[in-house]
Amino acid sequence: MSEPEIKPDIMRMSWGPQHPMSGQTRILLDVDGEKVHRIIADLGFTHRGIEKTLENRTFFQGIIPIERMVMADTANIGLGYITAIEESLGIEVPERANWIRSLLCEMGRINSHLYAFGLQAEATGYFPAVFLWTTTDRTVLLKLFEELTGARWSYNFSLPGGVYKDLPEGFEAKVIEGVHYLRRRFEDYWTAMVENAVFEARCDNVAVLKPEDAIRLGATGPVLRGSGVALDVRKDEPYAAYADLDFDVITEPACDVMARTKVRFKEIGQSLRIMEQIANEVPGGPVRTRVPLIPRSKPGEVLSRVETARGEMDVHMFTDGGSNPYRVKIGSPTLRNMYVFERLAELDEVLMADIPVVINSIDPWYLDSDR
Amino acid sequence: MSGVSEADLAEKVKAAHPDLVESSEVLRERRVSVTVKRDGFLEVAKSLRDDFGFIHPVCGGAVDYPKESRMQMIYYLLHPGLKVILTYRVNLPRDDLRLPTLTQVWEAMSFHERETHDMFGIEFEGHPNMIPLLIPPDWRGGYPLRKDFKGEGVE
Repeated sequence: MSEPEIKPDIMRMSWGPQHPMSGQTRILLDVDGEKVHRIIADLGFTHRGIEKTLENRTFFQGIIPIERMVMADTANIGLGYITAIEESLGIEVPERANWIRSLLCEMGRINSHLYAFGLQAEATGYFPAVFLWTTTDRTVLLKLFEELTGARWSYNFSLPGGVYKDLPEGFEAKVIEGVHYLRRRFEDYWTAMVENAVFEARCDNVAVLKPEDAIRLGATGPVLRGSGVALDVRKDEPYAAYADLDFDVITEPACDVMARTKVRFKEIGQSLRIMEQIANEVPGGPVRTRVPLIPRSKPGEVLSRVETARGEMDVHMFTDGGSNPYRVKIGSPTLRNMYVFERLAELDEVLMADIPVVINSIDPWYLDSDR
Repeated sequence: MSGVSEADLAEKVKAAHPDLVESSEVLRERRVSVTVKRDGFLEVAKSLRDDFGFIHPVCGGAVDYPKESRMQMIYYLLHPGLKVILTYRVNLPRDDLRLPTLTQVWEAMSFHERETHDMFGIEFEGHPNMIPLLIPPDWRGGYPLRKDFKGEGVE
């Protein structure tokens, strides 16, 4: 990338894309000794042109590329696109299908938060074991996914008009069993990791983002709620079955790295609560309405919003009467949070050694920001 | 918030700047769309932030309409209290794609304007850091999201 100018007496360091904690991006750090003066994010390493791809695919074909945005969270990402298609084409969704979608979304959210949590443990440098714990416990969810959708990753299970198949026989009981197991494990995580003096020393009061800054800079998801702002699309503008489900929007007042980690942790608790409700109360009925395989759109536009694990995702779809979308604008949560990350060094003192912890606190997924 | 207050909001924006706002309408519940003239672009944006409470920037992007020989730049803004998304639009003729940068009003639009510059070639005048965001710096292949762009593998 072409780089902005460096001020005198400042050293510019390149961090990533080969660094073990950086992911598929490069971060430029202007440092003076240990202190970071400026953070510059160099994105685009994984740009695949998904928005352009969608213009050349029918509505149904588009579901496959868009789910590649975030592999850990495909249920939520896919649903953003599917709700846009449904609103655009005027397709009704049966109630049972909406509940199954919510179940899938919450399982995806836990899956994604678990991964983020394991990486955060890795970034603090003291808990290689926790990453293995989270990866092992994820298997419980992956098995449920496999039984429900036939795939452990990238499900393509929600389709315009409902979901692909009904719940398998006895699936509700397995969900409850999984919820009980994960609840017990999360108590272990909390005592072993979150209330751990070393973890607290690395995360407390690091990279403070005040609520007014979080709103002004367009933060979203756990980053915004970790600054004490209760915005969650699931509550503000309920989609799928969230209007009928009982859950709380988690916020933390501390505004630091620890607060963002705790928000994710407590959101897992809420997701388990939702999973349990769905397993106990899922209404009966059909799971899919008939939709032509290559539907024709009406000219117009639709803006749909969903809450993914990383925050709000917006899909603005323009249609011109053809069988493909005319244009799809995807508002990516990681791109918004990466801007906040760039500004963090100016808002609070950030040290070089904190960078892995700080970047994982925004839970970046570069395939999402680059699209 | 019911449909009535969104209509109120759309009306008030229009009434506050009758000469600068081209159209102001409610698309559906929680969706308001405001289209402005290029001359009043910054003034209406400041007023949306300061007078109408759209303090939370969401994202930004553009749509290409080669048949009508225009592009539409769209900024997405959220009112955190009312939970209303406002799409703030301005039409640009395709042979004169210049716009003052909106980073002076919402600085977080920086990334979205850089991305739009990469993909559509819209010039944002006064942007503090206009370097490629997603495309490689040595890319000479044109603007990928324009409708007349034909990439390999796309017919």
